[in-house]
Amino acid sequence: MGLVGFSLVVFTYYTIWVIVLPFVDSSHILHSYFLPREYAVILPAVAGLLLVLLVGTFIAVVMWKSRKPAKKTD
Amino acid sequence: MTKLGQWLLTLGLLGGTWAGLTFDALGLGLPESGRRLLWPLPAYLLVAFGCYSLATVGYRLATFNDCRGAAEELQAQIREARADLESRGFCF
Repeated sequence: MGLVGFSLVVFTYYTIWVIVLPFVDSSHILHSYFLPREYAVILPAVAGLLLVLLVGTFIAVVMWKSRKPAKKTD
Repeated sequence: MTKLGQWLLTLGLLGGTWAGLTFDALGLGLPESGRRLLWPLPAYLLVAFGCYSLATVGYRLATFNDCRGAAEELQAQIREARADLESRGFCF
């Protein structure tokens, strides 16, 4: 259930950031809880790249460990 | 048309609409708040879909119940199979 809660928090924060804020007056204090709008695209992109990096590293490590010696000496 | 073709067509149409509106190709003159909402939309949809996937996985993990009867039946079958194979000379 922690996963559900976490994804709800992320979804709510991100939805307010992207969908709600453009319609909120620029002098409202709500804006102080959010980074500049560019980061709404940069942060998920960086997180996605990090994920790909981690998955790729994991696959590389597993494949490296499972390699068999090419020649067998009799 | 193949499924891939349908997906690509849909994505192409939606992407083209988004690009056309974001870069003001038709000179339609959207209000400032609309433009500010529009340009991160692809990223937003991806993040929203990711959140939905994560929530679904988490929920189904949390509500997946043990099946006591099936588990015991399976373990009995494993013991039976093991005994049968050992009687035929299989070494474990």
